[in-house]
Amino acid sequence: MNTYDLIIVGAGPGGSVAAKIAAEKGLKTVFFERGRKPGEKNSSGCGLGPRMFRDFPEMMKKLTPEKCHSMRAGVAARNYFVNKDDIVAGYIMARPTESVSYEPAKSWITMNVYRSEFDPWIAEFATDAGAELKTSTLIIDLLKENGKVSGVIDDKGEKYKAPIVIGADGAVSTVAQKSGLRSKWSQNQVTLTLQYDFQAPSEKIDDIMGDETLAVWWGSNFPASYQVFFNDGFHQGLGNWMTWWDKTPLFYLNRVVNLKYYQRLLKILDAKPRELQAHLLPWLDYPYNTYTDGIILIGDAGGFPCPLEAEGIYPAMVTGKIAAEVAAEAVSSGDFSKESLKKFDEGWKKTSIGEEFEAGAELWNIWKALPFSPKETMSWFVPMIMEILGGIFDWSQPHGKRVRQIISHVKSYMPKATPFIMKNVFPLVAKIFEDDLDKIMDPKKIMKVLPKLLDMLPQKKKRRGSQEK
Amino acid sequence: MKIELEGLTKRIPGTGEFISINSLKCNNCDRCLFVCVMNLWRKKEGKIYLAEDYQSKCLECAACFQVCDAGAIMFKYPAGGTGIVIEKG
Repeated sequence: MNTYDLIIVGAGPGGSVAAKIAAEKGLKTVFFERGRKPGEKNSSGCGLGPRMFRDFPEMMKKLTPEKCHSMRAGVAARNYFVNKDDIVAGYIMARPTESVSYEPAKSWITMNVYRSEFDPWIAEFATDAGAELKTSTLIIDLLKENGKVSGVIDDKGEKYKAPIVIGADGAVSTVAQKSGLRSKWSQNQVTLTLQYDFQAPSEKIDDIMGDETLAVWWGSNFPASYQVFFNDGFHQGLGNWMTWWDKTPLFYLNRVVNLKYYQRLLKILDAKPRELQAHLLPWLDYPYNTYTDGIILIGDAGGFPCPLEAEGIYPAMVTGKIAAEVAAEAVSSGDFSKESLKKFDEGWKKTSIGEEFEAGAELWNIWKALPFSPKETMSWFVPMIMEILGGIFDWSQPHGKRVRQIISHVKSYMPKATPFIMKNVFPLVAKIFEDDLDKIMDPKKIMKVLPKLLDMLPQKKKRRGSQEK
Repeated sequence: MKIELEGLTKRIPGTGEFISINSLKCNNCDRCLFVCVMNLWRKKEGKIYLAEDYQSKCLECAACFQVCDAGAIMFKYPAGGTGIVIEKG
């Protein structure tokens, strides 16, 4: 029998950070990976956020292209707007703005890496700290003694003992299932995400994309599709909540890839499809059931990806750190009860992750209603945005007349846009500024004023320079 | 452009059976037919079944298990060290 202080199921970034910190605190720690090496089963989550570098500086400053060949800083990000005729109607490109407050967030938006390189790199911190990594090992069940968690068992029948188990085993967490914390997600708590990886020569990406290394394709015929560039390739992927799909996910992803604009991009980048990957991605408005007697769930297993854009690695690392600290306290006190482990929830709620989830429901709502509702929302959102962006720079009429034409046309979208703003934008604004909705804006008043205001705008102005005396 | 899926995923054999369906529980909601990226769920004469060669095609996303509200689809991961290998994930 193999006996430990702490067992961690999963050797992704969350499990590895937990293992590192637990080992540093002197806990005899083992962590398990079902692949032959960490990262071998992971796809996506490949954009490292700047908060990782702020909150885990000792580790992250050691991440170099020598260790992680695929690294590419995602400096500028582009948002393509694709209309219902599958034409790229326009785009906005942005870099970190003047109000961004710290490095490296000032220099780039994400650092893109392939998980097959990043995950083994981060696991090494844990093994260097003395944690034991067992690869090619699938944990299939929890062991229990007198009704209490006492360890885990692998698919070869090997048993490992410990009074506490951290589930860092992803969206379809065996630890969550076997501990009774969750048999599966509700259908609106998890998305199915798939992506192609394309290979492309580094020089081509440098020449054509420059430091623009991230894009979101906002479509009227497909859920928002992300594009992430690495050193020698890029991902194109998309996802949606489980019951959204009326055709296979591949149908929608191929719709992006088959855009005329996209085909041109593939051609000039000399890009070739290299891999196809699919995974479940928890996307919750608020994490729940994250701990019980002898069990803590972290990262995707606990439902911690960001409620807006589903950043997963940073929340996994933060929750991994807190879980390890709580586990160490439990080991020293000998109390592994649910009551004792509630410190885990208290802990993450005080972090940047906790603050993110404070507006979780509102962020989740707006994301679901906008980019993930192509037919219902993006079909009018794209032409409306482009009417404003593209309409101004148009010399088909005197510019004053164009502005009136544009506003008059934008008005025609109001029956769809107004309820959307009322339902999704106002509550988010109210939540962010921690004020009652009524105090900021009375929806009834706005409904009354807005159409009148818009009515006033397209009125023709008296001509300047007329000869009237 | 049609992307050939053949050859886009590396695999290590020896997974063992890791997906199954209990037809008695299946309520024919057909959701598994839609969510499977690799189109491995089929329907014949009103009965849902899994492609025989699923072990060599499945991407291990577990969407079929998740989407099955009837609890008819069982999913466990392939044996440790087998199944898909993601090199560029």
